Amino acid sequence: MAPFLFTFFSLFTIATAVGVVVNKNAVNAAMCLLLSLVGVAGLFVQLDAYLLAFILLLVYAGAVVALFLFIIMLLDTHDSKAQGLNKLSGVAPLAALGLLLAGVSTFVAKGKLATSDLLTVPAAGANLKLYAYQLFTTYLLPVQVIGFLLLIAMLGVIVLSKKHEGLDDTK
Amino acid sequence: MTPELVKVAAAAADNQWGAIFPELMLACLALALLVLEIALPKKLHVYIPDFALAGLVGTLAGLIVNFNSATLGHETFNALLRHSPGGQVMRAFFLLVAILVCVLARVSLAKQKMPRIEFYHIVLVITGALMLLAQSNHFVMLFVALETVTIGFYILVGYFRQQSASLEAGLKYLIMGALSSGMLLFGISLLYGVAGNSALAGHSANALHYASLAQFLVANPHNFLASAGIVLVLAGVAFKIGAFPFQIWVPDVYQGAPTPVTAFLAVGSKAAGFAVLLVLARDVFASYDWLVIPVLTAMAAATILFGNIAALTQHNVKRLIGLSGVSHAGFLLLGVVASMGPAAHVNATGAVYFYLFAYLIASFAVFGVMAHVAGADDSDQTLDHYAGLAKDNPFLATILAVGLGSLAGIPPLAGFMGKFFIFIAAFDAGARWVLALAAVGVVISIYYYFGWIKAAFFKVWTPSGEDNVPRPARTPVDMVSGVALCLLAMASIFLGFYQGPLGQWMSVK
Repeated sequence: MAPFLFTFFSLFTIATAVGVVVNKNAVNAAMCLLLSLVGVAGLFVQLDAYLLAFILLLVYAGAVVALFLFIIMLLDTHDSKAQGLNKLSGVAPLAALGLLLAGVSTFVAKGKLATSDLLTVPAAGANLKLYAYQLFTTYLLPVQVIGFLLLIAMLGVIVLSKKHEGLDDTK
Repeated sequence: MTPELVKVAAAAADNQWGAIFPELMLACLALALLVLEIALPKKLHVYIPDFALAGLVGTLAGLIVNFNSATLGHETFNALLRHSPGGQVMRAFFLLVAILVCVLARVSLAKQKMPRIEFYHIVLVITGALMLLAQSNHFVMLFVALETVTIGFYILVGYFRQQSASLEAGLKYLIMGALSSGMLLFGISLLYGVAGNSALAGHSANALHYASLAQFLVANPHNFLASAGIVLVLAGVAFKIGAFPFQIWVPDVYQGAPTPVTAFLAVGSKAAGFAVLLVLARDVFASYDWLVIPVLTAMAAATILFGNIAALTQHNVKRLIGLSGVSHAGFLLLGVVASMGPAAHVNATGAVYFYLFAYLIASFAVFGVMAHVAGADDSDQTLDHYAGLAKDNPFLATILAVGLGSLAGIPPLAGFMGKFFIFIAAFDAGARWVLALAAVGVVISIYYYFGWIKAAFFKVWTPSGEDNVPRPARTPVDMVSGVALCLLAMASIFLGFYQGPLGQWMSVK
C-alpha cells in the first residue's frame, strides 16, 4: 500500500506542477499549484510528519494560494500576450534542463544512502507536544527573531504600499 | 509530563538572555522608535533619528567596555549561539555600520518624501539580526537570522518607491535573494539528512549544530551528498558576499537602492557573509578542505578579475562602487583561503577582519560624499556630477580622495595595510598564482578609482550633452555628518600607520 501511495502522490505532484507551468490561464495555473501542494502534503503524511502536512495545507494551500487567486483576479491578465522567445532565451531553458538532468542523474548515481531500517528512526515531528516544547525552550531565540521578521515584513508592506502626502513638515 | 519533556524544559535554563544584551538593546530601541512616532507630536519627529543614533552609539560603547564578557568562548541558548572573540569583533563592526548608515540616512532621506522612522526601525532590526548571524552556531539560527536580514533588505532596497530604479532593484533583489536562500536551504537539508542517517559513522540527531556536523564530516571524509551540501551552502553564502559567479545582481541593485542602503549592503551584508564563511570554512567544513579550498580559490581569482574589469567601464558611481566591492570580496576570499588547510597562516583571520574594518572606513567615507553630492534622483549619480567638487567643496573632495585612495590600496592608508596583510598571508599559505592575479586586479582598480578622483579635482563642470540637464545641487554638510566624515578620513590615515589594538584582538581565535 505504502509504495503505491508514494508513487501516486509523487506522480500527482509532478503532473500538477507541470500543469502550473503549461497552463495559459492564470487561475487554472494557481489551482494546479494548490493541487500540487496537496500532493506534497500527502507525501508528508506518509513520512508521519502530520504537523508539516497540515501546515502546508492550511498556510500554503489555504492562505497563500487564495491570495494568489485574489491578485490574479484584481489584475486584468487577459490582454497580455505571451512574448515570442528570442534565440538566446530559447537556449537558456535548454541549457538549464541539461544541467538539471545532469544534476539529478549524478545524485541518482552517486548519492546512494546506506539506509537503516526507517522504522527504528523516531519521527520527531509527529509528536506535536514535543514539537511545541522544543519551539518554546530550545528554539526560543529563533522564534523571537522571527517575531521581529514578521514585524518588519508588515511595516515594509505598509511603507511601500501607502501613499505618502504631506510629509514635508517632518523635516 | 514525560521524562523527555522534563529534560527539554530543563534545557530552557540555558537561555541566558544577558549574553545577547546588545541585541536586546537594539530590539527595544527599534520598538521604542515606533512608540515615539505615535506618542510624540509631529514637530518633534525630527529628533527620533538622533535618538536612534544615540542609542546605537551607547550600545557600541557598552559592547566595547564589556568586550571580554563572561560568556566569551561559551555556547548559550542550547548551543544555538557561540560567543567567540571573532563574534565580538563582528558585533562591534555591525554596530559601527548601523551608526554610519543612520548618519547617511539623515542626509539622503531628507531629499525624499518618504516616511523616515520606519527606515531606522528596519535598520536596527537588521543590525540585531546581523549580530546574531555572526555568532550563530547552529543552522537554524543561521537561517532565521539570515532571512531576517534579507527580508529587511528587500524592503530597504525598494524604499524609494517613487523611483522606478529603486522598485526595480527591490524586485531583482527579492528574486535573486529567494534563489540564494533556496540554494542555501537545499544545502543545509542535504547536510542534515546525510548527517542524521544512523547507518553512517558519526551520525548525530542534532546535525544542524556546527560541532556535531563537523564531527560527522571528520568521520565521513568523502561523502558525495555531504560535499554537494557543502558546495550549495557555500553558493548561498557567495550570493551574499557578491562573489563570482553569484555577483549578477550587484550592479542593478546597488544602483537602484537608496545610497545609505547601498552602503549597508556593500559593507554590512558582505561582512556578514564573511563572518559566516570564516566559521563554516575553518571550523565546520575543515575536514573537507580538499573541496572547499579549490572552490574558494577559484572563486577568489574569478571575483577579483571580474569585479575590476567590469568596474572599468562604469560611468554611474553607484555601479562602479558596487563592482569594485565585488573585487574587494575577491581579496577577502583570498584571506579566507589563506586561513584554511594545512598551510594556514596564523594571522590570516586577523587579516580578514582588519581588511573588513579598513573597507568599512573607506567605503563609508566615499558613500558619505556620495550622499551629499546626489540629487533628488538617487539612482542617477554619474562621474560628471563630481566635476569641480574640489573647488566648490574642498572638504568633501578631500574625504573622497582619502576614501578612494584607501579603497585602491594606496600607502600609507588603511586599505593598503589591509591588502598587504592579506597578500602576506596568501603568499605564506602558497596561493601564489591567485596572488599574481590579485596584483593585476589592484593595478586595474587604481585606474578607475583615480578616474573618479580626477573627475572631482581636475574636471570643470560644463553643462554637457544635448539636453543641458543641470547638475544636482550639493547638500551642505551639517555637523553630525561632518564630524562622522572627518573621523572616517582620519581613521583611514591613522590605521595605515598603527594597527595595534585591532591586530591584537584579531589574532585571537
